[in-house]
Amino acid sequence: MLTIKNLHATVDGQEILKGLDLEVPEGEVHAIMGPNGSGKSTLAHVLAGRPGYTVTAGSVHFKGRDLLALSPEERAREGVFLGFQYPVEIPGVNNVYLLKAAVNAARAHRGEPEVDAFEFLTLVREKMRLMRMDESMLSRGVNEGFSGGEKKRNEILQMLVLEPSLAVLDETDSGLDIDALKIVAHGVNTLRAPNRSQLLVTHYQRLLEHIVPDRVHVLVKGRIVRSGDRTLALELEQRGYDWLISEAA
Amino acid sequence: MSSAVLNRLKDEYGAVRAVLPPGVIGAERRREALEALCAQGLPAARDENWRYTDLRILEQARFAPVQTQAAALPPLPEVPEGFARYVFVDGRLHSGAGAAHGVTVHTARTDDASAAAWRLEARLPEARLALLNETFATDAVSIEVAAGTQAAGIELVFIASAAATEGASYPRVRLALGADSRLSVIERHLGRAEAPSLVTSAVQVDLAPHAALTHYRVQQLGAQAAWFDTLSAELAADARYEMLAVGAGALSARSTVHARLSGRGAEFSLAAAALADGQQSLDLYALSEHVAPRTRTEQTFRGIASNRSRAAFNGKVVVREGARGTDSRQSLRGLLDGAQCEVDLRPQLEIYTDEVSCSHGATAGKLDENMLFYLLSRGIAPEAAQHLLKWAFLEDVIAKITLSDLRRQIETTLLGQMRELETLKELL
Ligand SMILES: Nc1ncnc2c1ncn2[C@@H]1O[C@H](COP(=O)(O)OP(=O)(O)OP(=O)(O)O)[C@@H](O)[C@H]1O
Ligand SMILES: [Mg+2]
Repeated sequence: MLTIKNLHATVDGQEILKGLDLEVPEGEVHAIMGPNGSGKSTLAHVLAGRPGYTVTAGSVHFKGRDLLALSPEERAREGVFLGFQYPVEIPGVNNVYLLKAAVNAARAHRGEPEVDAFEFLTLVREKMRLMRMDESMLSRGVNEGFSGGEKKRNEILQMLVLEPSLAVLDETDSGLDIDALKIVAHGVNTLRAPNRSQLLVTHYQRLLEHIVPDRVHVLVKGRIVRSGDRTLALELEQRGYDWLISEAA
Repeated sequence: MSSAVLNRLKDEYGAVRAVLPPGVIGAERRREALEALCAQGLPAARDENWRYTDLRILEQARFAPVQTQAAALPPLPEVPEGFARYVFVDGRLHSGAGAAHGVTVHTARTDDASAAAWRLEARLPEARLALLNETFATDAVSIEVAAGTQAAGIELVFIASAAATEGASYPRVRLALGADSRLSVIERHLGRAEAPSLVTSAVQVDLAPHAALTHYRVQQLGAQAAWFDTLSAELAADARYEMLAVGAGALSARSTVHARLSGRGAEFSLAAAALADGQQSLDLYALSEHVAPRTRTEQTFRGIASNRSRAAFNGKVVVREGARGTDSRQSLRGLLDGAQCEVDLRPQLEIYTDEVSCSHGATAGKLDENMLFYLLSRGIAPEAAQHLLKWAFLEDVIAKITLSDLRRQIETTLLGQMRELETLKELL
C-alpha cells in the first residue's frame, strides 16, 4: 500500500526527515511512536502533500504509484486521508456540506455520479451515532467551537464516511477522555479491511490496547530507528525513548 | 479637484436649471446647494476621509441629469415576497406598484408635498456629495409610515442606463417612520453591464420614537460605473435602524453613512460586505454619532479585495458629551487575495463622556493557509477551496440577511462574481 524509501524532507529550509524508510502492506495497521519534535507530523503532512514541506530526496509510493507526483487534492481523491493533530476551525463552511463535497470529489475522480443526498445523510447519521456525536454538529461550521475531543471525533467521522485506502491519523488519541478513546478506537477498527491500511501516530500505548497494530515503528530525529511488533510499544512505555536516542546517535 | 471642474459644474447647472423640476427641489434650494458645494469644493484624494475613493470619474463626467434613457434595461431579480417594487431609471420613476399596506409613497414629480421635509445635507464634509444630488435631482421618492403601523415591504430599484458622458443620475430617497412603526426597505442599485454611469444618490432616514427600520442596500452597478452615495439618518428615542449593505458592483463606489442617535435608547447597526475585484475601488465611510444616553451602535464590515482592487472601510464612532451608558461595537475584517490589492480599515473612536462601553477590532490578512490545506486534504480543488473560504469570510454579514429571497439572490450574485457558482452551490 505505502512504500517510503530514504525520504528526506525540509520545512523552512530545515531538514526534518533524514532518510526515512517505511513499508505498510495492504490490510495492515502500523503505529509510529517517537519523542516530541522527531518528525511524526512532518511525515504525515508530507504524505498529504502540504505546501511548504519540500521533499529533497527519496520516494513515496502509494498503491504502486508515485504519491509525491500528486497534488494534495488528488491524493485525497485517490484515497489518502490525513487525520490532523490539530484540526482547523473553518467558521462559515458547513461541516456536513464539506463532507459531502469531499465524498463527491472522490466519486467524480472515479467517474461515479454524485451521492444521493438522502442516502448520504442517512450514512452520516449512522456514523455519527457510532462516534456518539451530537447531530447539531452537522449544521455547524467545520470544527467551529468544537472541543478538542469533538474535533478528533469529527476527523474520524470524516474518515468513516470517506473510507480511505490509507488513513494517516496524527495523534487522534491525544486529548480524548477514556470513553472517547474507546469510541475512536472502535471507529478506526470498523474500517479495518484487507484492502485498507492505517498509519497511527501516537504517544500512548493505551490506544494500542484498543487498536492492535501489526507493526510499531519508532521515529527519532527524522528516521525510523526501530521497528517491532506491539510489544515494542509496551517496552517504550516502560523504558522511554532515551535508550533509542543514544543508540541512534 | 480643480476649479475647472467646479466651473464646468456651474455652467452645466446654468444650462439645465430651467428644466429641473421645482416639485422635487425648488430652484432656490438648488442654487444654495450648488453654492455650498462650490464653497467646499469637490472631494479630492488629499482629503483625509476621501483618500480611498476613486474620484477620477468626476473629471470627465457630465453632471447634468441624463436626458435619454437607454432602451434596454438589465434583467431585474424577482421581487422578494411581501415587497412592492418601484423602479427608477437614471433617477426618474419608471414604474411603481400601487400603494402598499400602511405606507404612503410619494414620488416628487407627482406630489410636491414632501419636499419641505428634506434636510439640506451639508453638515459634514464627508456628506457633501449630497449637495450635488440636491442641485440636480430629477425625482425623489418619499416613503412615509404612519405611527403604529407595521408596513408592507418596499423595494426601490435604481437602474443606471446611460454613460457618464451623457449625464448623471440622482436617486433621492426619504424614509420617514412614525412612532412605533415598522418597515423593511430593499434599495438596489443596478446598471447596464458596460455603461460607465455616474450615480450620485442621497438618502435621508427619519425614525420617530420606537420606530424600527430594516434597510437592505445592494449595490450591483455595472463594472464601469461610479456610485457616490450619501445617507443621513436621525434616530429618536428607542428607534432601531438595521442596515445591511452589500457592495459588489461599480468601478468606483463610495458610500457615506451618517447615523445620529439623538434619542435615548436608540440603536443603529450597520453590517456591510464588499467584494472587490479587478480594478474596483469600494469605499465605505460610516459615522455613528451617539448624542443621547444609552444608545447602541454596531458596525460590522467584511471586505475582500482581489487582483488590483481596493476595499475600504472607515468607521468612526463619536460619543458626545451626555451620551452616557453608550454601547458601541465594531468588528472590521479584510481579506487580501493577491499581491496588488488593498484593504484599508480605519476604526476611529472619539469619546467625550464617561461610562461608555466601546469595543473595536480591525484585522486584515490573507487566506488562512491552514484552512486552505485542510480543504485540499479533503479533496476540494484549490480554486474552489479559495472561493469557499472567501465566501465563509463574508458569512458574518450575509447571515444577517434574514429575508430568505433576498439572501438567496445576493448569494447567487456574489457567487457569480466569484465565478465559482457551480462548485460552491454544493457547499452552502
Ligand atoms: N515551519 C517550521 N520551520 C522550522 N521547523 C519546523 C517547522 N515546522 C516544524 N518544525 C520542526 O520540525 C520538527 C518536527 O516537527 P513535527 O511536528 O513533525 O514533530 P512531531 O514528531 O509531530 O512532534 P509532536 O510529538 O510534538 O507532535 C520540530 O523540531 C519542529 O520544531
Ligand atoms: Mg506531531
